[in-house]
Amino acid sequence: MTARLRQSPTLAILAGLWVLLVAGIALLSPGILTASTLTTILQFSSILALVSLGQALVILAGGAGIDLSVGGIVSLASVLAMMAVSAGLPATLLPLACLGIGLALGLGNGLLVTRLRILPLIATLATFYVFSGSAVALTGGAAQSGVPAAFTPWGRGALAGIPLPFLTLALPLFLVAGVVISATSWGRWLVAMGDNERSARLVGIPVDRARLIVYGLSGLASGAAAFVSLAWLGSARPNIGQNLELTSLTAVLLGGVSIFGGRGGVAGVLAAVLLLVTLQTALLRLNINTVWQVGIVGALLVAVLVADALTTRRR
Amino acid sequence: MPTPLLEARGLTKRFGALTALSGVDLDVNAGEVLALLGDNGAGKSTFIKVLAGAHAPTEGTLTIGGTPVAFASPQDAANVGIATIFQELALSENLSIAENVFLGREIVRRVAGVPFLRRREMKDVVGRLLDELDAHISDPDAPVGSLSGGQRQAVAICRALYLDARLVIMDEPTAALAVAETRKVLDLTRRLADRGCAVLLISHNIADVFEVSDRMAVFRRGRKVAERRRDATDPEEIVSLITGAHPDVRALDKQQ
Ligand SMILES: Nc1ncnc2c1ncn2[C@@H]1O[C@H](COP(=O)(O)OP(=O)(O)OP(=O)(O)O)[C@@H](O)[C@H]1O
Ligand SMILES: [Mg+2]
Repeated sequence: MTARLRQSPTLAILAGLWVLLVAGIALLSPGILTASTLTTILQFSSILALVSLGQALVILAGGAGIDLSVGGIVSLASVLAMMAVSAGLPATLLPLACLGIGLALGLGNGLLVTRLRILPLIATLATFYVFSGSAVALTGGAAQSGVPAAFTPWGRGALAGIPLPFLTLALPLFLVAGVVISATSWGRWLVAMGDNERSARLVGIPVDRARLIVYGLSGLASGAAAFVSLAWLGSARPNIGQNLELTSLTAVLLGGVSIFGGRGGVAGVLAAVLLLVTLQTALLRLNINTVWQVGIVGALLVAVLVADALTTRRR
Repeated sequence: MPTPLLEARGLTKRFGALTALSGVDLDVNAGEVLALLGDNGAGKSTFIKVLAGAHAPTEGTLTIGGTPVAFASPQDAANVGIATIFQELALSENLSIAENVFLGREIVRRVAGVPFLRRREMKDVVGRLLDELDAHISDPDAPVGSLSGGQRQAVAICRALYLDARLVIMDEPTAALAVAETRKVLDLTRRLADRGCAVLLISHNIADVFEVSDRMAVFRRGRKVAERRRDATDPEEIVSLITGAHPDVRALDKQQ
């Protein structure tokens, strides 16, 4: 309850920004404001939301936690899973292959961080290069087509204007994560270790095991995002994960999770994902140069960080 | 003479080249308050961290009720009934008071293996414990980050009380406290011992120690240099043991 209250300034700020943004669009180009635009936004949001959820858990768990390899995992998991299907893996196992590969790659990150004690920034930067490089090398940069037709109706379908991947995968996972963080021992341990790792160890929380699991979950979430991309696009693109590490990081920080861990929740992260994708979609539709897009997203991040710092200091 | 609750024999702890604790023998009995005294850096906290399972000893043995034990974690120590209030308090600022008291051993209802918190129950228990301490904290759901030093101390003590421990270890529990709060903690220390609990108390305040303890052990440069019953010593002697002015300690220092 208290965590929720402390999170609400972020949620309020994000909602305010979103309203401003939509008002701005209504003024500049009212033609964009249609139900189909909303569907598009949610469609693009699905992948970023899944990846950001994993990123949020890693950062929340503290210990300088960060996962720069998420985009690499999305690319490599989609490419490898497609190659496995082409090589004879039963098509029905495609989702499991994506999840399994994502989990394995994430656990690899976790082992580097918890066993070898490599700084997460460095470990996941290294695996980012390995994963995204391998995805391109294995395919020569070409998209792998041939996603079984059975999956595309889910990947492209919508119910009442809400894309199925968002409605049946991203949204439920955020709900589950929100409940686990606020209402279970596991969630409390995660926050406690992010907040004060020494004390978490002193009370006997299995910090290293929890951290390994969290990196595994981030990989799993990226694997799920890989499957969404396959079912949506109908092919595996070796560069599908490009920039996801930066956008997911932006979403997580915008969403009110402290980069030092132990503070924040996933509701803000989902709100930030929606805000970011709305902004990107609007800029795209308004024909604003992509260079400006990056700058505007950055300015937004700075604004929210400043607002957060000011409210934190007042407490 | 009944067997001691806890026997430490030859406890040694080295951090690299630094010997923080060197061959310490000490017994702790049920129903008594044993005070540990010594200068800054004498090894008191290191000693109790070994008892609490936070450090593994480099050498030496620990027995509890006659059985040898080896703790891999503070959880192991808690499981045999050792509750510790560390000098650094070990609290999480972003968690509530109740969450901190129960951190690592929450009351849960498992649904399909998932440990859901029983918040109401935990809150009630903590409310009762805080009342017992007379801690003037009204809301167990308040975040620990918003509490004063004394209130934090009370939360840490609650953690130890809830364990219903056989041995309660307190590392400078009154260092951050005002006079009234210090009184409460000293009273509580005495009450715990009278209940049959063993209490190991670290303090720099000689007056407090003389008021509440039954026995004192003085540490100096990682060694135990003296052990006295309260009725067989006085504050001057203890001070001279701590500072090294006492002839016994001088002799020991010279031997080294
Ligand atoms: N984790 C550690 N790593 C390295 N050295 C340590 C560690 N913990 C303690 N020491 C060293 O061991 C020695 C004893 O420290 P300890 O904390 O036990 O002293 P203390 O008697 O509790 O002092 P104080 O009264 O200041 O709390 C000191 O020299 C300290 O610097
Ligand atoms: Mg100390």
